[in-house]
Amino acid sequence: MSTTTTLDIVPFLSQQSQLWKACGIRGLFPLEKIPGMISLLAGRPNPSTFPFESLTMKLKPDLAGMPSSTVEGEDPFTITMDGDDLNEALQYGMTAGVVRFISWMENFQTHVHKRVADGSWSVTVGSGSQDLMHKACVALVDEDDSVMLETPVYPGTLGFMAALPGTLIEVNADTQGLNPTHLESVLTNWESTHPGKRFPKLLYTIPSGSNPTGTSIPEARKIEVLKLAKKYNFLILEDDAYAFLYYGPEGQQARSYFALEGEINGEIGRVVRFDSFSKVLSSGMRLGFMTAPPALASVVNMITSNTNLQPATLTQIMAYNILSRWGPDGFLAHCKGVAATYRARRDAFEGVARKHLEGLAEWTTPVAGMFLYIKLLVDEDTDSAALISGKAVEKGVLAVPGAAFMPLGGKTPYVRVSFSLIEEGPADEACRRLAEVVREAREEKAT
Amino acid sequence: MAAVDFLPESFYADFLSDAAKARQPSPIRSLLPLEATPGLISLLAGKPNPTTFPFTSFSFTARAPPSEDGENVEGKEVELKLSGDDLAAALQYGPTAGLPPLVKWLMELQSQVHGRGSGESWALSVGSGSQDLLDKAFIALLNPGDPVLVQSPVYAGVIPLFHSLHCEQIEIDTDADGISSASLRAVLESWPAGKAKPRVLYTIPYGGNPTGATATLARRREVLSLAREHNLLIMEDDPYFYLFYGTHSLRPPSYFEMEHSDPSSAGHPVGRVLRFDSISKIISAGMRIGFVTGPAPLVRAMNMHTATANLQPAGLTQAVAHALLASWGIDGFLRHTRGVSAFYRAKRDVFEEALRRHLTGLIEWTAPESGLFFWFKMLIPGEEGQEADSASVVRTKAFEKGVLALPGTAFLPNGRRTAYVRASFSLLSPEEVEEAVKRLRDTILEVRAESAAA
Repeated sequence: MSTTTTLDIVPFLSQQSQLWKACGIRGLFPLEKIPGMISLLAGRPNPSTFPFESLTMKLKPDLAGMPSSTVEGEDPFTITMDGDDLNEALQYGMTAGVVRFISWMENFQTHVHKRVADGSWSVTVGSGSQDLMHKACVALVDEDDSVMLETPVYPGTLGFMAALPGTLIEVNADTQGLNPTHLESVLTNWESTHPGKRFPKLLYTIPSGSNPTGTSIPEARKIEVLKLAKKYNFLILEDDAYAFLYYGPEGQQARSYFALEGEINGEIGRVVRFDSFSKVLSSGMRLGFMTAPPALASVVNMITSNTNLQPATLTQIMAYNILSRWGPDGFLAHCKGVAATYRARRDAFEGVARKHLEGLAEWTTPVAGMFLYIKLLVDEDTDSAALISGKAVEKGVLAVPGAAFMPLGGKTPYVRVSFSLIEEGPADEACRRLAEVVREAREEKAT
Repeated sequence: MAAVDFLPESFYADFLSDAAKARQPSPIRSLLPLEATPGLISLLAGKPNPTTFPFTSFSFTARAPPSEDGENVEGKEVELKLSGDDLAAALQYGPTAGLPPLVKWLMELQSQVHGRGSGESWALSVGSGSQDLLDKAFIALLNPGDPVLVQSPVYAGVIPLFHSLHCEQIEIDTDADGISSASLRAVLESWPAGKAKPRVLYTIPYGGNPTGATATLARRREVLSLAREHNLLIMEDDPYFYLFYGTHSLRPPSYFEMEHSDPSSAGHPVGRVLRFDSISKIISAGMRIGFVTGPAPLVRAMNMHTATANLQPAGLTQAVAHALLASWGIDGFLRHTRGVSAFYRAKRDVFEEALRRHLTGLIEWTAPESGLFFWFKMLIPGEEGQEADSASVVRTKAFEKGVLALPGTAFLPNGRRTAYVRASFSLLSPEEVEEAVKRLRDTILEVRAESAAA
């Protein structure tokens, strides 16, 4: 039986990553742990000056996945932090995150993706997964690199990609997510379409409930993508912000790239995975985590230590306190409940959308996430951006024009709508107005 | 009172970096103002539904600030709760520049403390710690390879940021009175013709990490005058502003205040100072909250960077901070900071007393009036008439004797050896201080003995 090889990620690191050096202070910190050592090193504030004395989180009484009582016999829906626990939360902490919080997530990754803790991957906490994706790209992308983006793509990624060196390459998605056939043609034709240029270094993709398309790529396609990644030697940046919002058929959620790579390629270390708590715990807490080869994590941590120092200790410990009470299965039970909420909202929105837009627009029903990507059917040349800024605004409805999701710009007939927040009444009216927009645009084209 | 002039928005175009100018707002952002149209239904935002978040409330207790005469009010606590709409706002994605109630409170603080009226061409943004904001400001103002004026020795945390931008760090001397205006003048007046002149000065006016020096009023006036003469922006990094151990009525005002209100600023347009504050040394370091105050075009450029890099500072920690600050009010906050100052002043005094007893004649130092550090020079001989190297002593003898201090070379932008050491007095008990300082004494005595024997 062949053993699994581990990809060496060091050759993928950018020149820029070598520029990031530790400031002179950090190197001495490990020495503080030596018994008997008295340290005058750190300008850490004294916790007795922090004015907070206790902090209590009350959880929803109907929260899924919670134990019926805690070990201490307390109410599991009340979590209080005080004393040393609170002082720790209010103090500077480690660059990569609070150690026990990281351990919880490492254990979680093993639980969900069946990846053994074999040293080929480590978990880093960030101030949102956005923070980590941005830094990972700084660590990987050089001027002469090309970055493949599943297109349409989340504009937040476009935002930081645009400021980075390197060339953006669109790889098309369709109703089933990233299209491996198009990916393959980009790669097989590379030398003629981009003569003299290095092969693309990485592929960025949102495999579940993609923003903006709402599609989730099936496992069979992921397998094709993984094989291409190995054949053409590129990394996969798996942005799985909506992974916990899967509401498709039970037991049929595609396994992650992170879970699959060893099995499909006999090789690990090619997938860099980004998870987020933003859609299931709180978007305002700014907590995400990256699961990556240690050599890459190390560069990301170096950037953090210099730029924003660390993710907030307080929010990490708050999150850890609730996650540890849940355990991985309790957390997943909660996520299932959250996903069910989004499915109900999807159903309600699709109902009113179909009522008004049948024949005037089309879309794929998502099995995860919070978006519909709606194609406005005016003619072969529909420009949704023009329709939105013109007729749609006039009629009092706004959706995001598809052009916002195209790395290289361009005209598109699509708009993104979210069903996460809108109530049924306004949703109905919004779809009615959108239908008018399409009808009127068609009439104008006909004349 | 004569009307104050402000530098126009167009003034800053020359100062913004290529990276800042190239940043595009997200196309979604440009549609957001339309949401305010009456009757319009917006399907723009891709925010999660906050009813799915597991929390119903956060409540916390905090100490009341000390009374007017500085007495700690024992047993008195504030009890605060975040629930309902406030909690929903805290748990949801929020504005890039910070939670609006907190931004408003902080702007009022800046008005009261630094005498700058709101709506006078300056803006304020909250960041994930002032480090986050410093990083973004450097990227907004400096092109790769640009020269930057840096007081030296300097906070070690900015050196790698300049390094990552390939900036030429032009060191400006400091002494017991803070940044040396003579050194700054000399550098600027002797700048080679034809070489692009530095336009940004980075300075830490209170507590001058690592030196502990606080810039005097006279020095600040001279620096402001030079900034005007040579068209500089001043980045005022002030995380220790609220830790002051001298007489409060005599404390020097900030650059942010002085450019507006100091007599020497009369007749000069305002808007050269970009100020950085932090709650890390006064309320909590783990909450990661800092704020930048200064010319609106510069703050906007930084916001555009935040919008793509890490989106926003955390809503929840901001809401907790705001709840506390709102309950205290500005006066309560200032009384709290005076209490914190008194606490650290006492620790400074304990540390200095130990230095006097054990290290007189073996080191040289000036007592800090702000900040958390002593900066002292080891009086040991160097090799072949060079300055002594504290780094090798710290890493070998001091370490062996069980005391860790920071070699001063970590704070020199361009490396080089120094006999200086930085020691923090913030955490140790009096017993630990006594023991640490004794170990330093033993270290230095041994070094001197070995050198004499050689």
